[in-house]
Amino acid sequence: MAVTSPFVFHKIEELIAEDSKHVFTLISYLTIILAYINLNTVHLFLVGLIAFTMYFVTIGTFLGRAFFSEEEAFFRFALGILLSIMLLGLVGWLVMIIYDLETAPFALVLLVTTTVSSVLNRRMRRRNGVFK
Amino acid sequence: MAFSNESSRWLHFVEALYTIALCASFWLLLLSRTGEAQTVWQVLHPAFLPTLFVATFLLFISLFGSAGTSRKLFFIILYSILIHSFFSIVFPAGDSSGQQMILGRTRRVFDNTILHGLSGWPPRTIQLFLFNVFRGVNLQAGLTTVLARTLSVDVLYVHLFLVPILWGTFVPIGSFLLTREVSGNKTAATLASLLISTLPFSTYFGAISVPNSLGFIFLLYSLYFITKSLSSADSKTYFLILTFSFFSFLAHFLTGIMSLSFLLLALAFKTYKNEKGSLTSKIQVIGSVLVCMGLLPVSFVYMRFFDSTTYGVFTLEKLSELPHEEIVGLFFLGDLIYGFDLKTIFLMIVGPTLAFICMIYLAFKEKGKAKPERHLKILFLFMAYLVVLADYRILKLFMEGLPINSERLWVIRDLIAAPFVGYSIGALVSAIGSLKAASRTAAVSSTNKTFKVSTRGAIGVALFLNLIVAAVLGGWVTFSLTAAYPQVAPLQTTWYELEAARHIEENTDEGYVVIGDLWTIYTGEVVVGINNPNAYYFQENSVLGHDLFANMSRDPSPQWMLSATNLTKTQVAYFIITEPRLGAEEFNNIVTRIQTQPLTLFYTSQNEKLRVYSYRDST
Repeated sequence: MAVTSPFVFHKIEELIAEDSKHVFTLISYLTIILAYINLNTVHLFLVGLIAFTMYFVTIGTFLGRAFFSEEEAFFRFALGILLSIMLLGLVGWLVMIIYDLETAPFALVLLVTTTVSSVLNRRMRRRNGVFK
Repeated sequence: MAFSNESSRWLHFVEALYTIALCASFWLLLLSRTGEAQTVWQVLHPAFLPTLFVATFLLFISLFGSAGTSRKLFFIILYSILIHSFFSIVFPAGDSSGQQMILGRTRRVFDNTILHGLSGWPPRTIQLFLFNVFRGVNLQAGLTTVLARTLSVDVLYVHLFLVPILWGTFVPIGSFLLTREVSGNKTAATLASLLISTLPFSTYFGAISVPNSLGFIFLLYSLYFITKSLSSADSKTYFLILTFSFFSFLAHFLTGIMSLSFLLLALAFKTYKNEKGSLTSKIQVIGSVLVCMGLLPVSFVYMRFFDSTTYGVFTLEKLSELPHEEIVGLFFLGDLIYGFDLKTIFLMIVGPTLAFICMIYLAFKEKGKAKPERHLKILFLFMAYLVVLADYRILKLFMEGLPINSERLWVIRDLIAAPFVGYSIGALVSAIGSLKAASRTAAVSSTNKTFKVSTRGAIGVALFLNLIVAAVLGGWVTFSLTAAYPQVAPLQTTWYELEAARHIEENTDEGYVVIGDLWTIYTGEVVVGINNPNAYYFQENSVLGHDLFANMSRDPSPQWMLSATNLTKTQVAYFIITEPRLGAEEFNNIVTRIQTQPLTLFYTSQNEKLRVYSYRDST
């Protein structure tokens, strides 16, 4: 188990970062829809937590792989999560200043963050020469 | 191999025990939750500190083992989140301080009660507009609101745990990375990531959700990437330096300026490295140290260009007015000379002093060695440390009218100190490890029975020393918490104050204004936010709000409530009095005086400690 866990994590991370046919970017968009519906109608913390986890795992992996490919998996993931929180804060701050953060602009914040993370992931992977 | 399996089994056993002790600590902290207390120490479960000490001791034991770095860091992060969550778990609305003021402003965004978009920022001047837009509270409000909406929970919970979780997770990791960059030693780096908890200022700022705390996190990473850039010319590193420096600035002015200082300092060190320590580059380094020392104080003076309400100025008044002993005390210990006991002072300074000694030792030891870049990084951090120490003294002794408490600089000092505390303790642990390894090799290779027995004895001594070190460090970390969390504090926001504010909100259909003391305002910030046009609580520093409360307490008549409704364009005014805040005598006097007035008793708390009176504007 101790041997397989990091291996499994590594495989999942690789799968997400590869983002073949934009599958994980699309999953991330679906997560936004889930969070949006939950916020407006369902109001369940558990659903929110699932959306939150899926969202951050995806974009955290994108950004971690993009900027910290030379680090160990643990640091790559942690720093990716930190960058995704920062990006989310930055976009949230901008949208709040320009308009407000009601439910629709909130969804826009998530959407922009995902798109930027996905684009950065692809660009940096191409730059690092690991893009298939 | 057999030996390795055995030690691995022991390690798993220790980790399992640690997990149990950590879960028990979380549980005991939850049991300590209260609705009426001044400090966490008054209400902490008696078994909490002993359990936490056991958890810390076991954590250190596991750190001395051979587990992977990521697993060790994972355990440290869980521990770090626990020790930074005291306020958030024990008090219903967290610490009564700046963090509630920030929540008051965040709630306006979350509840959409402010004017929308750019029109909500009426700029008197373009500078003031920029100042308001770039205030850290906006970044935190935006982030907290987005996270709360994603989780579909009230903003209070996300706000309370935002910094404890972010700090608990990313400060140990940042500290690890910085130490690894400077020392190249993973044991020292792992120890640093835990030993940063021995630095009380850092622990306190990791426990309150204010933008400055976020700024400190970003500053730590900015410092890490700046240090890293001294040995790497990677464009990605430069991008990350700029990103983290920008976020340091966006989160708080103090951390932004300090980031800039470190960046300037690093540029001088780069020149020093490229010119191989020429005289000009040495002069440049000294010059940049002096410029960096002046950057923060001067920026406080020029802050008035953006915000006319700040008035930071240089002055010699303190030097001429204060007694010599006080000046010397302030120079060495800062505000610690005012009423802090010796134990607290010791806990506050022992880590930074150890780090300072370690820096000087390493600066000399590493000079001329095979890895000049390591020496350069140590020198850089040493100079950054000196800049912080000098800035603190300048702000403390030569300036007044500052918008912040200069003690906040000590958090930055602690962030730089942590790697060197880890380095010092790491050296001690390595020495014990070498003794153990040498004894083990001797025991295995020797055929002499007496020699074998004596070397096994040496292994036993080494193991015993490991246990002693773990116990001492565990005690140090646990004991440091007594200095990190205040021993004396005013009554925190109580359950009955929160209940009263919620009762008013739920049972008033029209717009209303609340007249209350500062603590009532804090409560209002938690429940409905500040300056909410429909549920108006005056700002903490509002002279009008303060005067209305003082007048109502002295002469509780409807005229003050009427003027409050007129001023805020609301229909109902509430006046809140709380017995523990006012004192029993004052509270009873006001109650007696109100009985002769046409005010309605709107709400009384179950324990009779709080009363809410209302007055409706019939015009």
